This record gives sequence, C-alpha cells and structure tokens, in this order.
Amino acid sequence: MNKTKLLSFTPDIDAADRFAMVMDLLVKCLKKSRGYVELRYHKRETFSVSIKDGKIDILNGGNIEGACARVLANGSWGFSSTTLIEKEKIERILKDAYSLAKASKPRKKRAVKLANIEPHVDKYETSMKIDPRKTSKEELVHLVTEVDKEVRSFSKNIVSDTVALNIIDDELAFLSSEGTEISQRIVRCSGGVVAIAREKGNINSAIENIGAQSGLEVLKETPLANAGKTAAERAGKLVSAKVAPAGLFPVILENRIVGLLAHEAVGHCSEADLVYGGSFLADKIGKVVAAEKVTLIDDGLYPSGFGTMKYDDEGVPTEKTVIIKKGICRGFLHSRETAQHFGVNPTGNARAWSFEFDPIIRMRNTYIESGDYELEELAENIKEGFFLKGGLSGQADFNGEFMFGTQEAVKIKNGKFAESLRGVTISGNAFEVLKNVDAIGKDFIMRTGMCGKEQVNYVGIGGSSLRTKVLMGGAK
Amino acid sequence: MNLTDLTNLAIKYCEKLGADEAEAFAENLKTTEVVLERAEIQNERVKTQSGIGIRIIKDKKLGFAFASKLAKDSIEEACRNAQSLANVSIPNPDWVSLPTPAKLPKSPAGIFDEEIASITGDEVLNVSMLAYDAAKGYDKRVDIDDGKFSAIATEVAISNSHGVEAEEKTTLLEGYLVCVAKEHGETSSMSIEYDIASSLKDFSSETIGRLGAERALASLKPKPIQSFSGKVILDSDPASAVLVQPIISSVNADNVQRGRSLWAEKLDKEVASQKLTITDDGLLPKGIGSSSFDSEGAPCQKTPVMMRGKLKNFLHNSFTANKEKKKSTGNAYRDGYYVLPSISVSNLIIEAGNKRLEEIVSEVDKGIVVRRFSGNVRPESGEFSGIAKQASYIEKGEIKYPLKETMISGNAFEAIKNIIEMGSEIRPTLIKAYVPPILIDKVNIVSK
Repeated sequence: MNKTKLLSFTPDIDAADRFAMVMDLLVKCLKKSRGYVELRYHKRETFSVSIKDGKIDILNGGNIEGACARVLANGSWGFSSTTLIEKEKIERILKDAYSLAKASKPRKKRAVKLANIEPHVDKYETSMKIDPRKTSKEELVHLVTEVDKEVRSFSKNIVSDTVALNIIDDELAFLSSEGTEISQRIVRCSGGVVAIAREKGNINSAIENIGAQSGLEVLKETPLANAGKTAAERAGKLVSAKVAPAGLFPVILENRIVGLLAHEAVGHCSEADLVYGGSFLADKIGKVVAAEKVTLIDDGLYPSGFGTMKYDDEGVPTEKTVIIKKGICRGFLHSRETAQHFGVNPTGNARAWSFEFDPIIRMRNTYIESGDYELEELAENIKEGFFLKGGLSGQADFNGEFMFGTQEAVKIKNGKFAESLRGVTISGNAFEVLKNVDAIGKDFIMRTGMCGKEQVNYVGIGGSSLRTKVLMGGAK
Repeated sequence: MNLTDLTNLAIKYCEKLGADEAEAFAENLKTTEVVLERAEIQNERVKTQSGIGIRIIKDKKLGFAFASKLAKDSIEEACRNAQSLANVSIPNPDWVSLPTPAKLPKSPAGIFDEEIASITGDEVLNVSMLAYDAAKGYDKRVDIDDGKFSAIATEVAISNSHGVEAEEKTTLLEGYLVCVAKEHGETSSMSIEYDIASSLKDFSSETIGRLGAERALASLKPKPIQSFSGKVILDSDPASAVLVQPIISSVNADNVQRGRSLWAEKLDKEVASQKLTITDDGLLPKGIGSSSFDSEGAPCQKTPVMMRGKLKNFLHNSFTANKEKKKSTGNAYRDGYYVLPSISVSNLIIEAGNKRLEEIVSEVDKGIVVRRFSGNVRPESGEFSGIAKQASYIEKGEIKYPLKETMISGNAFEAIKNIIEMGSEIRPTLIKAYVPPILIDKVNIVSK
C-alpha cells in the first residue's frame, strides 16, 4: 500500500506551482518599491518523531510560511514581515519597511552602505538521494522505533532513552531591487539519542547526534543506531565513574568536538560585527594568532554541511572563507554592510533564522583543517593528560575566553589511553589554546550544530582530533 | 473570528474526521522589539506570529500537526495532517485522556498590561535607550556590545473534545544588555544583564544598564588565584543556572517516572538544606509564568515543591498525572503552538533569606562571588562546571579583586545540602524561577 500521497504535507496544489506563484507575486510587488529593497519568502516544513522509552512521545508535522521586506532608505534599514502571502500584505510590508527606515534614520549614527555585488538569478537545491517529501512517515516512525529498541541492548544499565528524528525542509526565495532573484530549497535531516544509565545511587546521561544537509540517505551513511550505541555505551560506562580532575592539562580533543573549538574559540570573534565592536581578532589581520599547524575555515559551500547554502540571505554567493591560514589571521566573516565598511568583498555570511528576522552575520560550516597524525601518535607525547570526547554546549566571550562541555575524559598516562572519567567543561583563551596546538590528526569529521546569537541558526562544525592544552573545570 | 472560535472549529472538524479525542491550541503573539548592536540601534521589528497546533488521539495513537496561518483551510489541513500522523503512529498504552473540564481559578492579577499590549516601536526604543544611557552614563570605559528589548503580547486559546475551553491574554517585557569595559587596550569579559516583567511599570531599564556597566567595569584588571575548595556566593542568575536547573529537572514528573530523576524515591525525605523552601506558583500575581490554566487548559495552582529541605511534590501535566491516577498540577507547558506540551515550572519561587548580598559577602572569610556562569550543568546528575564570570575574590569579608580565568565545579545536589545562606533579594531569571543569591560551600574553585 502506498501511503505516501496520503501522508504528504504538500497542500492541494503542487509545491512547485505554489512556489512559482509566490515568486511571481513577489516580482510584481518589488517593481513598485522605492529605495534598495529585498523581499524574502520562507516556507519551513518540519517533521519530528521522538520515541521515549519505547513509546511515541512526539509525532509532529507542520509548517510556517511568511515573507519579509527589508528596505534601505537614506542610509538606514527598515524591516517588516507577514504570514499572509497576498498582494495587499506584501505591499503593506514594503510600505512599512520603507517608513521604518525613514523614521529610524535620525537615531542612527552610521549611514549604512552596501558593498556592490553582481545580481544573480539562480536556483539551488540540497543534493538528495532520498527526498523526505517522497518518504512515508510510517517508515520513519518505524525506523526510530527500531533504534529505540536497540539502545537498551548496548548497555545493561540504561533506564531511559529518547530517540529523535527531525526533518527541516526550507523553501527560500530572495529578490532584490538590484535584480537578484534566487530560490533555494534546503533540506536538513538530523537525529539524536539521549541515554540515561543508573547504577546504585548514581545516574549519568549521554547524548549523541547525527545529521547533515541531505536527504534521508544520511540515515544510511551515519546510522542513528550508531549514535545510539555511542550514547548508550558512554552513559553505561560512566555511570559509576568519577568526575575528571581540575587543572590545566595537555589534552586531545576528539574530532567530534574540535568543531566546537573552531566555532566558539575563533569563529565568533571573526564575525565582522564583533570585530567592529573590538573583538580580540580586531587588529590581528596578518598577525600570528595560532600555531603554524592551524588553518581555520568558514565554508558556505561545504558538501552536505548543516550550514551550507549557495547564497546567503542578502543574495550574496557564499564561499570558502579563510579565517586563519597557517596560524596567521587572514580574514573575517562579512555581510554586505560590514564588507563595505572594512573595504573587502562580502563573504556570504548574512543569515536569518526565518522570515521574521533580518539577516545578521553568522558562521556556516566552521572547521580546522586536518593534519597527518594518527590518534595514537597524538597521545604519544602526553605524560599525564586526557582524551576529551562528546561535546556539550559552549559559549564565547568577547575577550577570547571560551568554554564548552565534554561528556567523557579518557585518561592518558605516559602516552597510553587508560580509564574513562566523566567529562567536564573546559575553557581557555582562544589565542593560547590555538598557539598550543602542536599536532593535528587526519580523522576529519563534519558535524551539525545549532548556534544562538540574537537568533538561532544551523551551522556545521568540523575538524580532526588535535592536541593542545586547556583548563579543565573538574573535581579536586 | 476570535481564537476560541478557531480552536472550536478545529475540534468540530477533528471529530468529523473520526478522532477519539482532539485538542487545539491557538496562539497570537505580537512582539515589538529593538535590537542594539555595537552601541547602535540595529533594528526595530514588529512581529506578529500566530498559529495553531492540533493534537489528535485515535486508538491511543497520537498525532500532532501545526500551521502558521489561522484560516479555516489551513486549520482543516493541520487537522487532517494530525489525523494522518495518528494513523501511522503506535498506540501508547500509557495514554488515558486529555484533560476534562475543571473550574478555572480567576486570572492572576497583573499578568496583562495594557501598556505593553499597545506599546509602539518608539516606546520600546525609549525603554532600551534608558538602559543604554544608564550603562554609557555610568562610566565612559563601558561599551555596549549588544542588546535586545522585546515587548510581547500573547493571546492563547485552548479547546478540546471533552469540553475544555479556555482563553487568556498575557504580556511580557524582556530586555538584556551585553556590556564590556575597555581600558588601556584591555577588554573585560562580557557582562550580561537582563530583566523580565509582566508590566512596563515593573521593568527596570535603569538597573539593567547600571548593573551591566558596574559588572563589566568590576571585571577589568583581573588576577588569577590559587585553586581551592570553599565558599561561593552565586548571584541570582548563576544560582538559577547551577542549582535550580537540576532541581527543576528532578521534580519533573516525567523524569521521575522514567527513572531520570535522582529524587524518584525521595518524596517527604530531606534532599537539601533546611534553608531551602520552594514553591511552584502558577497563580503568582504579576508572575512571568502566571496564568489561570496551563498549556492543556488544566487549572494552574500553587504547589509546594520543597519545604525546609524536604521534597514535597513533583510537577505534573495531565499525561504524567493520569499515569499515577493523580490530578495534574497544571504544569503542562509549550514553547509555542508548534510543539506538544511537556512539563515546566510556572513560577518557581525559591524562598528568600534575610541577608543582603553585601552582608553575605561581609561574612565570608575566604571565597568568591560569581555574577555569571558560563558552563554546563548536567541536570540528571547535578554535575556542574564552567567559567566564573564577573567573579571576584573575597577575603575577610571584603571583595578584593576580579578573577582571571577561574572555573567552578561541583555537584548541585551536594551543594544544596551545603547552603550556608540565602540572600534576601529574589528576582526572576531566564528559566521562570525567582531566585535569591545563594552562598554554598565546598565548591571547587579552579585556576591554572
């Protein structure tokens, strides 16, 4: 029985026809506008299944849809959005955005000027082998249910678990009065497993995620069951383990968490809006900011990257932006506005969470390039240190101090891996930690992340296992 | 049509589709906000968000769908989608029923403020400029990195097929400022100050700006200290993050039922210092999480959670309450119309002590005071570790100097047994808890 049609969320008319109608409407409305005008359309379809302890906890599908206008008039921005895609409403938001721009002008110190870009007329779609729109929801529920059953088999002391699958299907249009006309369909599939283990009076949880900008084939390439295995084994193994000790230690950061270092320690401080405010990278172009082995990239085109898009939300083509090349600071992440201010080309980093937000400077896929060390070689020089695995949340400070959490700390003694302890939050000054990177592995991995900065957004974070020194916030 | 008409329309349609039970949650949100960036006004926005979430149960199978357009055709489509999902779902043997109608308490006083509901962009700008001026005016070394001030007017309506029908309006004003201080080429760590209130009158822009500036300045010229284990005064916000989060997780009935809470067997037992008394009060006048009903339309109430260190109650929604054949405590919560209800605190009130922060400082022989915590807390096990931001070293009852690259770590469940003092000033924090500063002992203070 083919249930696909029945379960699809596509409205009565075909999605492509509907999208063409929307584009047509936006083009017409744009023609009558004044000033520099951007119109964006965004429809986000989401689907989530979450199984908790063998029972369906969440089965959720739905959509949000809307459009927004951003107008630059007299050196000032105005912004307005609506959830009703009809001619009168679009004209209304254009008018509102224009008057807001005019009205706010006297309160702004700096006139906004935009770096020039070539107008683009283009289409982009996530490359997909298995389009989630064409997959039955029943199949997905089944898949998650199966993983949930497996989780408990990986460790005997798991008392509770959650297995979740999320699909986010974004349809985006961007039109500007300069003639840019772009449509993009970006599909992100991700999943996560939480496992909770108990033993005597102890409790421990572990979490592991998979995902990519991709169709559902990502679930075959990186099975959710593998994430379940990692989480369950970790939770089980550490339930009676001690917390890692406190202090400054040589560490190996696992490939799965190196992206957090790239993102938190460096990425944020290279966002041109933060640079403008005086972040620690502000005066560092051309200067040594890291060990020579460190090359750090923010790539808008990384294949299957969670933060990949061909064009950003200002219609600027994205690119591979080099932030640090062999230890030397080479560039920042820009919008059209900051690019103009700094006298460089825009890098395609202006991103908006939804049609309700104006774009701000965000990372895309941020990673540290690989070296040529084997994992065992990274451990060789460490007399007493830790191999840190499994990421938790992180934060960066304006002054270069950053932190992020780890789930597991494997002790390294005289170059050999020993027992596992519970992971702790690590911190350091970005400069020092990057200067202390003396060996980088070749086990590169790109992962998914969510980053919050006024608005949230999807990002990719990546890297290979590497060796450095950090402060561990552990036990006595 | 008003919101209740729309939720009722949805229920009728779901019944026509053959649902055993159905629930519609509709929401209208108007946000007027001003975004500050690098000491400049970046943006003013008026956002109107609305939508409806439909929960359908058929043969104990659950389906949920939502739509952002509040019109007959899109609502009916969402109902059909919820129905399709229920069809492919798996029966949940624990399912009993959606809430049945109950008498709702009176709407708590002061949860809707006409001034916030009718606020203009210009007025929100004034609110943010007061904070801005208070920070900039405090000292010229202070810079504002970013900030956001949002006035939110919310209208929700819930109907279900058992005849529950509820509607309410609330308002909220939220604002934060991130400040840094700069001197001789040195940049301080960021201070993050915020306020949340249900009325314009109760919101203090001036405090945000002044404290933001004061704390950024106070963290200039930091010094390292030797690691030690000892006393830490957590100001309201870090106390909320470090100590209250694990408590919230542990009294969540869903976590309790699933073995995710260390307190599962601890009702009426002592789990914390006698200084700790906690109440969840959904009916708190002017409360930032107050309402007469929860996200499923069940009545909100006042629930004692902890009495002088003794665990008194867990917090339930209808699902967890039904599982134990109990009455819901009215703690069903949704982040928006687009998600299913889970469990959350309404207003979790941590009873204040009677000493002001300065007094507590004066009684600490050796310790630190932490005003912001940038780290991780494991809610199940209570382990916490992270950077002590805007932290200062205390010696012989006096604040000596700001700390450089210092972390704190420990276990929240141990720490709440070692409470020395509760401060007298409680304030709302980001997790809907009203928390005073708390002095705890035996915390690891970690430095290079």
